Amino acid sequence: MSGPISRRDFLKVAAVAGGGILISLYLPGCDRLPGAGSGPEPTPLSGPDEMKPNAWVRLANDGTITITIHRSELGQGVRTSLAMILAEDLGADWSKVRVEQAVADIRYGDQNTGGSTSIQSSYATLRHAGALARQMLIAAAAQVWGCSEEDCSAENSLVTNKKTHGKLSFGHLVPLAATLPVPSVADVELKPASEFKIIGTRLGRIDDPEILTGKAIYGMDIRLPGLRYAVVARSPVLGGNLVSFDDSAARAVPGVVDVVQIRTGVAVVADSTWNAIKGRNALISTWDKGLHPDLNSADIEARLLGRVTSPAQDGELAAYYTLPYFAHAPLESMNCTADVRRDRCEIWVPTQNVQAVKQRATVVARLPGSAVTVHVTLVGGGFGRRLESTNRGGTPAVDYVEEAIQVSQAIGAPVQLVWTREDDIRYDIFHPMSVTRVSARLDSIDSLQTNLLEAGEVPTGYWRAVTNVPEAFARESFVDEFAFATHQDPLELRRKMLTGRARAVLDLAAEKAGWGKPLPSGQGRGIAYHASWGVTPCAQVAEVSVDDQGNVTVDRVVCAVDCGTPINPGMIEAQMEGGIVFGISAALKKAITVKNGQIQQSNFFDYPILRADESPRIEVYIVPSTEIPTGVGEMSNPVTMPAVTNAIFAATGKRIRQLPVQTEDLTG
Amino acid sequence: MTTISLNVNGKDYRVDVDPQTPLLWVLRDTLGLTGTKYGCGIGMCGTCTIHLDGKAVRSCTLAVASVEGKKIVTIEGLSPDGSHPLQKAWAEEQVSQCGYCQPGQIMTAAALLAETPRPTDEEIVTAMADVLCRCGTYQRIIKAVRRAAQGGAS
Repeated sequence: MSGPISRRDFLKVAAVAGGGILISLYLPGCDRLPGAGSGPEPTPLSGPDEMKPNAWVRLANDGTITITIHRSELGQGVRTSLAMILAEDLGADWSKVRVEQAVADIRYGDQNTGGSTSIQSSYATLRHAGALARQMLIAAAAQVWGCSEEDCSAENSLVTNKKTHGKLSFGHLVPLAATLPVPSVADVELKPASEFKIIGTRLGRIDDPEILTGKAIYGMDIRLPGLRYAVVARSPVLGGNLVSFDDSAARAVPGVVDVVQIRTGVAVVADSTWNAIKGRNALISTWDKGLHPDLNSADIEARLLGRVTSPAQDGELAAYYTLPYFAHAPLESMNCTADVRRDRCEIWVPTQNVQAVKQRATVVARLPGSAVTVHVTLVGGGFGRRLESTNRGGTPAVDYVEEAIQVSQAIGAPVQLVWTREDDIRYDIFHPMSVTRVSARLDSIDSLQTNLLEAGEVPTGYWRAVTNVPEAFARESFVDEFAFATHQDPLELRRKMLTGRARAVLDLAAEKAGWGKPLPSGQGRGIAYHASWGVTPCAQVAEVSVDDQGNVTVDRVVCAVDCGTPINPGMIEAQMEGGIVFGISAALKKAITVKNGQIQQSNFFDYPILRADESPRIEVYIVPSTEIPTGVGEMSNPVTMPAVTNAIFAATGKRIRQLPVQTEDLTG
Repeated sequence: MTTISLNVNGKDYRVDVDPQTPLLWVLRDTLGLTGTKYGCGIGMCGTCTIHLDGKAVRSCTLAVASVEGKKIVTIEGLSPDGSHPLQKAWAEEQVSQCGYCQPGQIMTAAALLAETPRPTDEEIVTAMADVLCRCGTYQRIIKAVRRAAQGGAS
């Protein structure tokens, strides 16, 4: 057949073909399926090359399925798991699925990637988005075959006629399906869990081919024609203001093209990152003493303790637990690439909060939202640092975005604004220092009360699991203390306190860890439980060894988690493992401290994080479930910290009430 | 500025840069090979690891002038199509989280296996302790190196 055919002609031909001829040609399992292989194609359907039933998915007539990811990929795997959810109800062949990162756009609703919410809040939406598209493809196939939609099913990117066993590929059906009305959500059915083919499987990360070959694009990997690189000299003390600067030496550095004063400091702009860094080293800048010239973290801690250390009443157990400032220290330091022109602004940024970036960009660039485009790159670690829109002092926390925009505006060229590691640690928005008092009457753990206090002058904000960190550390340490004070087993006491899914994860972790089995001297086992924001119950048992010098090694951590329907078990286990390592770093490594208004740490030699040879054996057990899936990114690190310190108590009899653990806490 | 000849991933380049520039920034900003990442700039995190004449080295503290005439391999040149046994093992063990440090991890592991094709667990852990991962993928990294050393079996 040659030339275009009318829709009516086509339907006739296709109906005949679909009902008879095609079946003999395209048997199930045969690779010559229409649109799915290299065999002869059935008569193409006329219509658009692509269908786009909603904001989340589009299908092309070559079978390619493109799913839009509205949340940021920080390593938690959303670009894979969100696509898996939609692909499931679409009935997609996973090998045909591609993902596309959404720009900042309120059509996608909340794009903030924080609070471990991406899966839970998107689950129903994405399943329905997939189901709507599937229903349209089925409707198209039913038209082709002249059968009822009820006689059709879709799986593996094929619609099957259940009566005739005829098959038509999604790609083949796209031109017709694209012309059909989008059904309402109420008119589509979601798959029962028993029919899941994609959800619950250990599919590999969709970005792995790029990540593992160095082709993946993070914020710092954006390259544009004429791109300049900039680093900023900022106040060495908290809240300091620029008094004066001399840029003659900086400008003399080969490759330096400009020096620009911006709100946060003085930006040195060059033809390479290295030349910008050299230029900044040569810049002479003078700053005032800042808002808190005498500020010391030791004083802040003493002040907080002074506010909570009311003594225990008769018949009461009371204790207080102290956490310090912690840095986020993602391996990719803060950065932003901006290209600001007179009438538009384009930004590439590894962010957890693309809409806050856009909002801030419109203000700084003085452009309407319609003139500002914000692209989210892959994010080389976030842990909350890239989620903040304002820190506690009210300063815009997307400072690196503002800096990039201001420099690009000033020089009239695209700029990559890079924070060095030292910048990233010194100008972090830290996990807040806190002191939590916990008390309970000795006759009942149910009388447990907590009082959390945090301090203000240092910029603080979201840090993986946020307030769940002090909450879990204080309560789970106290429950352990209470158990020993009242001669109870810590597991048994927790079993009395918990019910349902919470007790189930506790029991699972205890059983898998061999709770109660004796350990050699110098070793100990500790247990803890928490559900961050009350959504995902997680229990852990840590085993530690403590040597004569007070050095702690975490040998093993057993973790049980109930996150509802597991979308991708491998990625869930990875999140739990990662949180455990993150928690041990916080528990055993270093704090951020302040002296005379200045952050004292600057790089991995004075703010170390756990290394491979210090990492424990980790076992993760996921409770089977068909409940709504809940988040996993921030569920394990709050549990690890008290599990480890409770294990240290079991090993040494020394109770840790302040992190990080110091070797001198455990000697003498 | 000085003209320096480099051999990266089997290709010859001539770059006109300050001879003290760390190789990392020449790779990233001059040659556009952004697979090698910046992490700390002081040789502590290993994210910028590349191969210099087959040995794993930190490119962030290596002056470009010192590598003239040497064979440089970056993550982009480890295999033509991502089929190095370590790249396959990394995917199979679902190692990547944010993925940012993984080029440095893989280059470190590749140098280990080139020198010691059947490393003990202790040798693997010691070698991989050179590279930081804030996402905490260490257990999977060790498994993936072991898998690659055993010819792909888990």
